[in-house]
Amino acid sequence: MNLFSGILNGLGEIWAHKLRSFLTMLCVLLGVMSMVVTTGFVEGMFASWSTSLEEGGGVEKITGMPKALSTRQQPFRALSPGFTLEDEEALRRLLPDLAHVSPELDANVTFQRRGKRHTGRLQGVRNDIFAINRYDLSDGRVFSDLDMADRSEVVVLGTRVVDELFEKDEPVVGAWIEVDGRPMRVIGVLKHYESYYQDFNVLRWKNQIAFVPITTMLHKLKPGASLSWMNMKASHLSQVGELVDSATNILGHRHRGLGDFEVKTNDEQLASFARTKASFYFFAAGIAGISLLVSGIGIMNLMLASINERVREIGIRKALGATGRNIFSQFVAEAVALSLLGGVLGVGVAVGVILGLGAALPPGLAPVLAPSAFVVGFTFSVVVGILAGIYPAMQASKLDPIDALRYE
Amino acid sequence: MPAEVIRFDGVCKRYPMGETVVNALVDASFAIREGDFVSILGPSGSGKSTLMHLLGFLDSPTTGEIFFENRPIAEISADQRARIRAEKIGFVFQAFNLLPRMDVFANTRLPLAYHPRPPADATERIWKALELVDMKNRAHHRPGQLSGGQRQRVAIARALVNEPRILLADEPTGNLDSRTAATILDLFTELNRQGRTIVLVTHDPKIAAYSRRQIHVMDGRIVRDDA
Ligand SMILES: Nc1ncnc2c1ncn2[C@@H]1O[C@H](COP(=O)(O)OP(=O)(O)OP(=O)(O)O)[C@@H](O)[C@H]1O
Ligand SMILES: [Mg+2]
Repeated sequence: MNLFSGILNGLGEIWAHKLRSFLTMLCVLLGVMSMVVTTGFVEGMFASWSTSLEEGGGVEKITGMPKALSTRQQPFRALSPGFTLEDEEALRRLLPDLAHVSPELDANVTFQRRGKRHTGRLQGVRNDIFAINRYDLSDGRVFSDLDMADRSEVVVLGTRVVDELFEKDEPVVGAWIEVDGRPMRVIGVLKHYESYYQDFNVLRWKNQIAFVPITTMLHKLKPGASLSWMNMKASHLSQVGELVDSATNILGHRHRGLGDFEVKTNDEQLASFARTKASFYFFAAGIAGISLLVSGIGIMNLMLASINERVREIGIRKALGATGRNIFSQFVAEAVALSLLGGVLGVGVAVGVILGLGAALPPGLAPVLAPSAFVVGFTFSVVVGILAGIYPAMQASKLDPIDALRYE
Repeated sequence: MPAEVIRFDGVCKRYPMGETVVNALVDASFAIREGDFVSILGPSGSGKSTLMHLLGFLDSPTTGEIFFENRPIAEISADQRARIRAEKIGFVFQAFNLLPRMDVFANTRLPLAYHPRPPADATERIWKALELVDMKNRAHHRPGQLSGGQRQRVAIARALVNEPRILLADEPTGNLDSRTAATILDLFTELNRQGRTIVLVTHDPKIAAYSRRQIHVMDGRIVRDDA
C-alpha cells in the first residue's frame, strides 16, 4: 500500500467517525489558524515601521550631525568652523565609495501665495538628498547645475505644502510663491507618501518638506550659518563601517580635532526594529506551539482510541499478510490525513479571518496575509500528524495477530 | 513422496486460566505434504481451530516445534511470516473475519494489497474469485448487508484470491445449505487436483469424506491420523 492509498483509506476512517474526527480536526484547525493569524498580526504591525525605516534612507545611510563639545574642549570652540561645503567637497574627493553626499541646512520659514500662509520646514540641499532619503518627484524637475551655481530662487515642494498654498486643480510647477517674503519659482512637486500605523501616517514628514538649493539657502536665506547635517550614502552595505571611520577621520581633521560632530548610521534603529520583531515572533511561536501541542495530543488520543476499537481489524490484516510496517504506515497515514485536513481547513479559515479583520481594523493594527505562515502552518500540521501518529501506530504494528483475532 | 510443507513436532498449546490450565492441544506430531487434502475432524472444543491457527503461524506453540518447508518457524521473523502468509497461504476463518466497513470487493482484495509482488491482473482475479463462490452480484454490499452463508462465501473468495499454494479452511461450509456446500467442496477437490494443499477443519464426517486423509482430534489429542 502506498502513501496515497494510505491517506485515502485514512480519509475513509475519518468519514466513518465523523463527529470524533471533526472534534480532533477542530483542534488542528484552531492551532494552525491561530498560528497563521498571529503571524499575520506581527507582520502587519511591523510592515509600516519597516516602510518608514526604508523611506528614511535604509541601512546604507550615514549621517554626520553636530554634537555639543565636551567641557574640556569648550575654550577652543572657535577653532572649528562646523560643517561646511568644504567638508562636503573633501568627503566627495577622498571617499569615492560614497554613492551620494548632500549637505543640509534647515530653516523654519513662512510660505505665502495669494493671501494663503503656511509655516513649515525648508531644507537647503543638493540633488543627492533625493537619492539618500528616497524622495521621488511626481511632477517637474530637481535642481540643475545652473540653479546650484546661480543660487537660484527655485523650490521643490512636498504635497502638504502644495495643499496649503494651492487650490485643487491649479498648476503648481512654474507657479511663484513667497518664502519668507522672497519670491521663488516652484520647479518640482514630490510624490505623496502614505503608510499608516492605525490612523497615523508614518511617512507624513515626507509630505511636509520643501527644498531649495543649498547655495540659495546658505547665501540668501540664512547667510553665514553653518550646515545642520551632512547626509551620505554608501554604495554598498559592506562599506558602511569603513566609510564611517574614514568620514570621522576626514571631518575630525577638518574640524581641527574638535569633537563637535558625530557620524552615525541607521544601525541602532534597525537593530531595535529587529529585536522587537524577534521578540514578537517568539511570542507568536509560543502561542502556535501550544496550540499545535494541543492538536497533537488530540490526534494521538483519537488514534489510540481508534486502534483500541480496531484490534480485530489489525489482527485480520496481519493474518492476511500485513507486516508490522504495513500496519504502522496505515495508521501514520491516517493521522497525517486527519491533521492535513485540519491544517488545510485551518489555513482556509485563517485567510477568512485575516481578510475580515483587514477590512475592519485600521492599517498597522490589522493582520496581513504572510505567505510564510501558510507554508509553516501546512508543514507543521503534517509534522504534528506524523509525530502524534508514530506512537499509536507503533502500538498497532506490534499487536500479535492471534490476540487481535480473538479480541471480541 | 512429495515434499513436506508443514510439520508439527510434539506441539502443545496450553492456556493458563487462573489456577487451572486448558490443554487445547497436546503433543501433536504430523506432517502435511505438498498436494495433500487433509481434513481435521473433531467435536466442538476439541482444539481444531487452535491447530489451524498454529498451522498458519498466527499463534506459536507453548512447547514443541513447527516447521515450514523444513525451516523451524521460531527462526522466521514476524514480518517474514506475514510475507509467507500473503504469498502462500489462504485462510477461511470460522468467524469469517471480514472487515465490516469495506464492501465485498474491497474485502476480497485485501490479501493482494499485502502481496510482496501484487499481480498485474488483480482486478480480474478478484472478480474470478467472487465468481467461483457466486458472489459477483453482491460485490458492493457490506458484510452487514449479507446473510451468514454469503459472508462465508466471501471469506472463501478472499482466501482464494491470491491463488495460495496452501488453503486453510475452518468450517468453511458451516453456514451453507447442503447444495452450496457441495459446490464449494467440489471446488476444493478441483483445486487439490490442480496441486494445491488443502487443510479442511470440520466436525462433520460427511464433509471430511471429501478429503483424502483424516486427522481426528479429541480433547486436544490426535486420536487417529490415517496418513
Ligand atoms: N485464548 C484462549 N484462552 C483460553 N482457552 C482457550 C483459548 N482459545 C481456545 N481455548 C480453549 O481451547 C479449547 C479448544 O478451542 P478451539 O477453538 O480450538 O476448539 P474447536 O475445536 O475449534 O471448537 P469448535 O468446533 O467449537 O470451533 C477450548 O476448550 C477453548 O475453550
Ligand atoms: Mg473452531
